[in-house]
Amino acid sequence: MSSINHHVSGVEYWRSLEQLAQSPEIQDALGKEFPGYDADTISTSSRRAFMKLMGAAMALAGVTLTGCRRWPKEQLAPYSSNPREHLPGIPEQYATTWELNGVGHGLIVNSFDGRPIKIEGNPSHPASWVIKGKYGSADALSQATLLEMYDPERTRSVVDRRNGLELHRTTSWEAFLPIAAEQFKALRDKGGEGFAVLSEASASPSVLAMREAFEKAFPEAKWYEYEPISLDNEREGARLAFGAPLRPILHLDKAQTIVSLDGDFLLTHPNHTRYSNDWSRMRRSADTDQKMNRVYIAESVFSITGTVADVRLGVDPARIYVLARALAGAVKAPGFGDEKLSAGERQFVSQASRDLLAADGNAVVTVGHSAPPEAHAVAFAINAALGAIGKTITFIEMPATSANKDRPTHLQSIAELTAAMNGGQVNTLLLLGGNPSFDAPADVPFAAALAKVPTSMHLTIYDNETSKGCKWLLPRAHYLECWGDSRSWDGTPTLAQPIIEPLFGGKSVIELLAFISNHQIDNKLATGDKIVRQTWAGLLGKVEDFDKAFRGTLETGLLAAQTPKAAEAQLKLADLPAVTQVASAGVFTLRFTQDSHAYDGRFANNGWLQETPDPLSKLMWDNAALMSVADSRRLGIDTGDMIEISVPGVKEALKIAAFILPGQPVGVVGVSLGFGRISAGHIGDGLGFNAYPARTRRNPWSVAGIGVKKTGDSYVLIGTQEHHIFNALSHRTIEARVGEKYESGKIIREATLAQYIDDPRSVGAPRKVGLQLFQPPTATDKEGRLFSDVHAWGMSIDMNACIGCNACALACQAENNIPIVGKAQCSNHREMNWIRIDRYFKGDVDDVNPEVVFQPMLCQHCENAPCEQVCPVAATVHDSEGLNTMVYNRCIGTRYCSNNCPYKVRRFNYFDYHAEDPRFGNRWLKVPWPNIPDLQQLDPELVNPVKRMMFNPDVTVRMRGVMEKCTFCVQRIHGTVIAKRREGPGPEHDVRDGDILTACQQACPTQAIVFGNLKKDVNGKSQVADLHKHPRAFDVLQEELNTIPRIRYLAKLRNPAEENKEG
Amino acid sequence: MICRFAGRRLSRELCRTCPGGPDSGAGGDGKPGRDGPWAYRAMADTTSTNPARSSSPAPSSSAARFVFPRWANYLLPVVVIGTIGGGVYLPVLFGFGASPKTMSQGYRPIQPVPYSHALHVGKLGLDCRYCHNTVEKTAFAALPATQTCMNCHTNIKAKSEALQPIRDSWATGKPMRWTKVHDLPDFVYFNHSAHVNHGVGCIECHGRIDRMQVVEQAKPLSMGWCLECHRDPGPHLRPRDVAVTNMDWTRDEKNPRQSPAALVREYGIRDVTYMQSCYTCHR
Repeated sequence: MSSINHHVSGVEYWRSLEQLAQSPEIQDALGKEFPGYDADTISTSSRRAFMKLMGAAMALAGVTLTGCRRWPKEQLAPYSSNPREHLPGIPEQYATTWELNGVGHGLIVNSFDGRPIKIEGNPSHPASWVIKGKYGSADALSQATLLEMYDPERTRSVVDRRNGLELHRTTSWEAFLPIAAEQFKALRDKGGEGFAVLSEASASPSVLAMREAFEKAFPEAKWYEYEPISLDNEREGARLAFGAPLRPILHLDKAQTIVSLDGDFLLTHPNHTRYSNDWSRMRRSADTDQKMNRVYIAESVFSITGTVADVRLGVDPARIYVLARALAGAVKAPGFGDEKLSAGERQFVSQASRDLLAADGNAVVTVGHSAPPEAHAVAFAINAALGAIGKTITFIEMPATSANKDRPTHLQSIAELTAAMNGGQVNTLLLLGGNPSFDAPADVPFAAALAKVPTSMHLTIYDNETSKGCKWLLPRAHYLECWGDSRSWDGTPTLAQPIIEPLFGGKSVIELLAFISNHQIDNKLATGDKIVRQTWAGLLGKVEDFDKAFRGTLETGLLAAQTPKAAEAQLKLADLPAVTQVASAGVFTLRFTQDSHAYDGRFANNGWLQETPDPLSKLMWDNAALMSVADSRRLGIDTGDMIEISVPGVKEALKIAAFILPGQPVGVVGVSLGFGRISAGHIGDGLGFNAYPARTRRNPWSVAGIGVKKTGDSYVLIGTQEHHIFNALSHRTIEARVGEKYESGKIIREATLAQYIDDPRSVGAPRKVGLQLFQPPTATDKEGRLFSDVHAWGMSIDMNACIGCNACALACQAENNIPIVGKAQCSNHREMNWIRIDRYFKGDVDDVNPEVVFQPMLCQHCENAPCEQVCPVAATVHDSEGLNTMVYNRCIGTRYCSNNCPYKVRRFNYFDYHAEDPRFGNRWLKVPWPNIPDLQQLDPELVNPVKRMMFNPDVTVRMRGVMEKCTFCVQRIHGTVIAKRREGPGPEHDVRDGDILTACQQACPTQAIVFGNLKKDVNGKSQVADLHKHPRAFDVLQEELNTIPRIRYLAKLRNPAEENKEG
Repeated sequence: MICRFAGRRLSRELCRTCPGGPDSGAGGDGKPGRDGPWAYRAMADTTSTNPARSSSPAPSSSAARFVFPRWANYLLPVVVIGTIGGGVYLPVLFGFGASPKTMSQGYRPIQPVPYSHALHVGKLGLDCRYCHNTVEKTAFAALPATQTCMNCHTNIKAKSEALQPIRDSWATGKPMRWTKVHDLPDFVYFNHSAHVNHGVGCIECHGRIDRMQVVEQAKPLSMGWCLECHRDPGPHLRPRDVAVTNMDWTRDEKNPRQSPAALVREYGIRDVTYMQSCYTCHR
């Protein structure tokens, strides 16, 4: 029987349906240290046998003197000649750019003795800065590209597959280039007839330049571009509205009212870091200006933006266009009238339009890239009618991309190319990245057509499904290894520089194109840096000293002077089709989404991303079909049941595990793309379910009229939504002992804006409890602190700004050498992430719009720490500045501390997770490396040194058997304090407020996390102390347990729309 | 009676439950039974040979847990040997564990080039920071680049056989590979700049480097040794500007500015709770 039928009402905040239903699994998890296990059944040995073993172990330890062995000798290798200004052991920062889907992300790479070890946001970059010029944020995907660079499974050498996949030959660039040079020369002589290039979307000026050189050398050649997660709908929408493909740029820091139609601008939009930062500014103005923006969203799959929206409506994807038209009619945009709407839609439209009109131009309507071009066009018309253009939304000319302005859409492009390949018009195909054999639409038989091309070459980072079908595999240089450039969302040109030599001898796109078209600079074949310098000589224009100007640009990473001016957007709305009748109720619609782990499949082999829980479903290592509670009830489907989705026009039904997501719109099944890879690597192979076979050119984002059927099989989905639940004490026992049944605000506080303005102090005021379970400590200083030295470190987390985007979790993982553990270990609740972003639903299970709260939960550094009181070896103790220190070399692994931690933030190393493939355990060393014969037997020496290079040398790599947890980035604290105190003693040389950023704080795009000294610095400033005294500040579980946490949370605010009089 | 196992006087009731109880002949008269010390054996003999005993109440099952099995008799020598052995073993273990050899004190590996600190520092008077130039700025006191050696050795001893590796490194650009002498565990984050800038002399940890032909580890570098100074840093501090790298410096007892307390104040050395916090060195 479905667990949701057991629903027991009364709990206000809940993490999962199972918790709401008080399922036996949850009861088990609450009461026990090892959920799912019975202590008596785990241990087969008796106490006596255990003592015997331990005695023997101790005797042996003594006999062999294992503890007294000298560690291996180390060698020191100083430079032969010191690089200028290089200090060994001091990380250096380099600005660079990562391009995804044709949009450049401005990054700063921390390089430790020449090895990139951490990726941050570029504080000068328009898309990344959080506090301009001070620090920037990098999203989870950008940060995880570091692991991609160090992935031992990247392509390592040129592979010749002309004789088939089985008879491949590993060769080298040296061997390949002469053969290729001859072939390309012959092609050039023919003018490039039969030559085709398939490229990823790119806005790189250098790629554009090389494309021009290529087209000059091969005038007859064809250039195609394809991206599975294409932004073409918006581009086509702009063409409908303005007659030209303009790109909209939102200015959410000015928008009082934001209406989003299926647009997840806070997470899946390419410019989401800028947008979420701007959005949070208008959220935080509740404290300063007593006003806050209001976000409306109508969406077909529950998204991050949906969770923070003040008014949310779940709709079928086909209704987005209707809603856009209705909204246009309601705001009196010329040419639009009333539409037939349901009651809920009508209320949404009337509330949204009222706020839009009232905002006096400080409002914006945005549409997601999955919505049809017509919906985008209507939204642009609404913005024009509101007078928002030029205020909250501006446009730029679509940056000159690698494909020209009038290029066909990506879907047309891939279909044309496939047709040409099938028709024998393509003799030579060059694939620049991408994986079309895997991610092309189901009705475009790219993989089959690829087999018919006589010569095909794939320049790629991974030996993926497409490479397997190509005649030549060419290793591609990672963006951290080569010169390049791009343009950010607002069109600013940005530079990319190599941080490290190519680890596996890859070449970049521009280098390969220069070679193919024999592009010469100074009578030599152009190299990457020469090409970029040549392009940027054009961008920089006439300067006195080019080298100096180029260096200056390299330092900041971008050329702000070349940011395109806002283009004039004169509405010339084309005739839009009227609304066609959409599918009736009771029939399902399939909606494809971008995946938070794999993006479009390219990150499938990235363990960091795979093990970062999805922001909403909290699933790891898998995707699933997201279904609403109502639908699951109707069909009797429970989470983990396999379902069969039959898509009209597609032969094979999609078999996928279901996940019941409260808040998912009824009638819509959401499936993310990019899983079910078969040639991703050891991490990514065989995970999840491939949704591409259900995706066609006509229906790239949603398919109406699908059939959903339960197959009877089940599948194990691992999600963290029930992992590390606050212990029984906090959840259940309090209710009984303290007697305040189901009172909200034990862990989470929230209020509406009106309540907050009315009585600010009430929001975060300490709750009165009938009985404190622990007495408050007595030996505190006058500020009530137990530990306070020159510094008293503390943190503040604003739940009103947190969007649950996982950037902090990834930052923590990279900074602190946190291992991934694999799906099997995750199923035992053994994931190691030091930050857990708790996602709570609020409301009744039948509520179609449950409210969602995100609460990042990490070590609270309680002054009165329960963990310290139970450690038998004092491995976790306080330092004088209030850090709850974890001393790995003292820890003997009793795990008492974790058991006693009310916040459940301690993580235990059950194995040496760094040492082996997390999914296969020791199998990693036995699995032959497919298709690279010289590495048939994978030598651990070949793998581990690469991964080892990625470690942050300032943080201990923990071994098996020790506990670990958040340290407040103690390495950053000490690094800064030591550097400051080097200047001299005294408070004037002490750290100032904002000098130290923890990794999570630096990654947070919304400034939700603030860390610092609770004591005022020499300037009398302490942001974190101010935030601790904020009216919205509250401690989690402090009233009951008197733990005195050093992290205070700021209560969440909501800004619901006023009730509509007409309904 | 005296029960041999317990080694003390037991009550008659309890003794009854013992196989060598009062009825076995080890009577309540306070004298050992007729079979002497090994009463258990006596009991076994009597029960099997004397039918008259069968009438006496059998030991109750609840009391059976007090009964030691026969093989327990042999534990005694084991315990004795264990006590004596352990008494020898443990001091040896700890003695070895803390011995200078275990701590690598006196460790002096052979280096690729027989660089003599005694010559360069002691005789020629090079400052430590000429080669270890990052010691005041970074955690790591850099080893000199080959270039630093070549600054002088392009002219001085330019043909010396011993310097061939240096010239090779300079010609090829390949680094010299020196063996690390002062090797702390990986979970210790020692920071040279934090010490040198606060007046801890080189000599405190490295000894008389200026007298060493071959560099050796002069101090134990154990945690206990580190903490000695962290708990009472004053006596180990020197005026930063004149004495940090000076091996021959002695404290001028008459100069109040050189007193340990004054130097602790001058450098703003933190109090002992901070100085011996785990996170000060371990992360």
